[in-house]
Amino acid sequence: MSVLDTPRLYFTGQMVWDPIVTNNYGPDPTQKPPFPGFYDEAACIPLPPGDSVANFRRRAIEFVDPANWNPHGTHRSNFLARISGADTGSGLDRSDPVVGTPADFLGMLVDAEPYGTFSSQLFFDEMQFGIDGGYRITCPRTFRVMSRYVYFNRNSHNTVKAGIASVIWQTSFPKDCGLRLDAHDSPALQALASALEDEDVAGLTVRWNTYRTIYYDDPEIVTNSGGQLSIDAQALVAKLNIPDSFQPNPARSLMIGVVGLWRKGEPACEPGDRALLAQGTPFKQPVGTAFARVTGGALVVDFGNSVREIDAEVSKQPLGTLSVCAMSADGSTVVEELGSIPYPQYDRDSYLSTSGLVTLPLDPSQCDIAVSSPLRIGSGSDIYLVEPVVAPSNRLLRPAVMTQQNIYMDEGDSPVSTGVQILDTGYATTSGIEVNRYSFDDSSGDVAPVDSALTDSNGIAWFDIAAASGGAVHCYLFTVGADAAQPATLDPQTTSYVYVRTLPSDAEIAAMEPTWENVFNNVLAKWNAMAPCMDNWLWLNDPAQVHAYGGILKKLTAAGAFETYRYMPVVRDMTPGERTLLYAFLDAPLDPDSKPFRAALAEAAPRLPESTRLSRAMRA
Amino acid sequence: MIRLQATPPNNVDDAVAMLQAAAGIEFGTLPPYLYAKFSILPGTNAPASERLTDVINQEMIHLCLVCNIINALGGSPELKPPSYPCTLGDVGPPGGDPLMIRLLPFDPSAMAQGMAIEEPEEVPPFPMLKSMAQGGGAMTIGQYYALVDAFLATLPASAWTAGRNQISDAQFFPGQLFPVGNYSDAHEAISQIVSEGEGAKDDPLDFQNELAHYYRFGEIFHDKVLTKMAEDPGYRWGPNALGVDWSSAYPAIADPGQHDFSRDSAAAQAAQDSCNTAYSGMVDALQRAVNGETGQLGAAVRKMFELRMAAVAALQVPLADGKSVAGPSFVYTSGSGAC
Repeated sequence: MSVLDTPRLYFTGQMVWDPIVTNNYGPDPTQKPPFPGFYDEAACIPLPPGDSVANFRRRAIEFVDPANWNPHGTHRSNFLARISGADTGSGLDRSDPVVGTPADFLGMLVDAEPYGTFSSQLFFDEMQFGIDGGYRITCPRTFRVMSRYVYFNRNSHNTVKAGIASVIWQTSFPKDCGLRLDAHDSPALQALASALEDEDVAGLTVRWNTYRTIYYDDPEIVTNSGGQLSIDAQALVAKLNIPDSFQPNPARSLMIGVVGLWRKGEPACEPGDRALLAQGTPFKQPVGTAFARVTGGALVVDFGNSVREIDAEVSKQPLGTLSVCAMSADGSTVVEELGSIPYPQYDRDSYLSTSGLVTLPLDPSQCDIAVSSPLRIGSGSDIYLVEPVVAPSNRLLRPAVMTQQNIYMDEGDSPVSTGVQILDTGYATTSGIEVNRYSFDDSSGDVAPVDSALTDSNGIAWFDIAAASGGAVHCYLFTVGADAAQPATLDPQTTSYVYVRTLPSDAEIAAMEPTWENVFNNVLAKWNAMAPCMDNWLWLNDPAQVHAYGGILKKLTAAGAFETYRYMPVVRDMTPGERTLLYAFLDAPLDPDSKPFRAALAEAAPRLPESTRLSRAMRA
Repeated sequence: MIRLQATPPNNVDDAVAMLQAAAGIEFGTLPPYLYAKFSILPGTNAPASERLTDVINQEMIHLCLVCNIINALGGSPELKPPSYPCTLGDVGPPGGDPLMIRLLPFDPSAMAQGMAIEEPEEVPPFPMLKSMAQGGGAMTIGQYYALVDAFLATLPASAWTAGRNQISDAQFFPGQLFPVGNYSDAHEAISQIVSEGEGAKDDPLDFQNELAHYYRFGEIFHDKVLTKMAEDPGYRWGPNALGVDWSSAYPAIADPGQHDFSRDSAAAQAAQDSCNTAYSGMVDALQRAVNGETGQLGAAVRKMFELRMAAVAALQVPLADGKSVAGPSFVYTSGSGAC
């Protein structure tokens, strides 16, 4: 069972994003003059080194126009959503009493690789559907929410910043880790509760898709070069320059989602089932990767991240009637057309009704064919989605990372093992399948082979991940099959990957005298500079306050709290050496001569050259 | 419940005056609710604290929505910080005393007061409303809003000015705060305010299927989760406990505004000064924000955080009796703006 099986719940609404993005901008020596950047993701330090907090904050505000759209962000990201429907096996049901209840989620949006766009994740403590005392599913966190299958060609109308893209978000909740359903008289919740008792069901999966993201709360801004974007950015700059004020500027996405069953052997944080991969030039595919499953006498296709939006009304692109075909074993020729999906079944109304899931009824003979044949979806002569066939065995294998898409390590840590589940027609495969690992350097684009591993009896290939020497961010790609071609690049629509961030040990910082000056300059100043929202809670530049809140600070920054919503620093870049020095300062009596480091806004500096401004705009 | 004396509005100025009074109530509920929340010991009473936070946030939203309506009608919202204890305009039940609203620390009486403020009464159907509109008299907050709403429905489109000094959800309270530019928007705002405070008709849930304020206070007061049941009346208190620990609260005095701090330590006096400075700064910034000054809502929120930090500090300074502390008095001291 999976979210493509029934029972399942649908939810729709919006998602609000409030990240600080200042650390997205690294140095760029190719600019004229060279761009100093704001953050060194390998060393975990703000740039340029030695920049004062006040100067850093001023530069961060000036960089709002063209790129740095939210220097006062908090990283908080939340749903504004409700349960919109249910399906217990008889199709969409909007009469179930759980429909209309709120879907609540509050998480912290953090990129494992600050410069990159493929490693976003949400740290959270609990997700809830419904309300206390009423219809309710309470889901305490076991795994982070991961972003996968970023589709960079989703929205032809709104191309501002990440507005062009859509993202699949997913996490799963084991049924024996605090998951709770209060069904009362809701047939949908009763069906879910009953299904959870099945031996094959590991828990619940929540998958959602965010799309059509807008900035400055202005849906009229649809390009990165329009004058209105600059006008709105300048208005934000004016607000940010109001002394002692807090001026967040959250972005918003539309979203659809599904709550369904998490089957044993399915990855927790990315889609399982069968993948029908996007075709065409990487990052420009006309249709995004879809997922499919033959279940209940039908083929259920997840188009949640697939069909583009083309106008201000968020209309779906008409692709004609889509033909769903079963292919020959090698995927080369059509064996049978299983059915067709006309536009009304994938238009916007349909998308909102069933969160992008399309059900294609099959007769029993078609089911038999569809279960084992490669699938292909197209329209006329256009082929949009193809299920990959692994040669020479012609098996329908694909890799999916089990639970750890983003891995954090400290320099000097022992290697950790990460599992890549190989799915065969959507189910966990067996032993002996070769899985290949490649490194990917996203600054140069280079891909290079690393090693291979064979699957174990659960169909999982295990790879040791070593901590880097010094700070670094590494990315690994995975393919399946001894003859698999080396990936040309990391295309999130077609590539399985993990990111590994190693924080430097900073042993020299750990060895410093725990004076206020050392603690501020080597530990606290970077967060004081990069996270002005902290001023709302604690003056990180004030030794008396920092010391007075020492107990809370230690609790929030403890390595054991890393997965929690309230962990500090939110961006997870506290090095072991920084932690050691901070704790030594907190544990010692406060020197009464310690003085606050003031962080008032400095006077405005000359604006950046236009070429730099325009170039940087593309990196937001 | 709060009962308000009102006569039917005859013109836009009357309606604005009624809305101004309503804004005063929304604003006036914040200090007592904040006082109770601030006085919870950190790290304790999470479900109660969460419910109070939700209520406080919604009261702030209600205040902004009422100000949006006033602005759309051409008025200029005025925030008038009350001195506690006060009635917030309550006239009391027939022959009875008005509800005296106090600053109470986190205890059952503070939650009972919250229930009393938010206590619902079935919103009358239109004929009854019409009768009331003819005669005027004392009414609940919900009825009061209904009276205003009925008048607003009669206004021509030309009475409304879209985009005038409106506060949207661009920065804060996403999805819950919206500009008012016509009667439809105003009606939606009033419906949201009434339903979130009192619940929908015959239902503890508001129009968004979430628990109304009265019942959130009730859950804390009873230390029971309001739970759906199959039989009438559809809900019951419990059986699950909410998890309230009344002892996990600072030993804060009630009504600190009436306390003579001159007998307390300099630290206690300084702590009160810090609270009042932050509160007054917040009021001033909010006053500017609801009258259309760009960026001032962000300044008000910043002051709100300063008030929270000042309150946390104040609640740790012993008073002269050596056993009690005081939270913020919510005394407006600026003299420069709101009043």
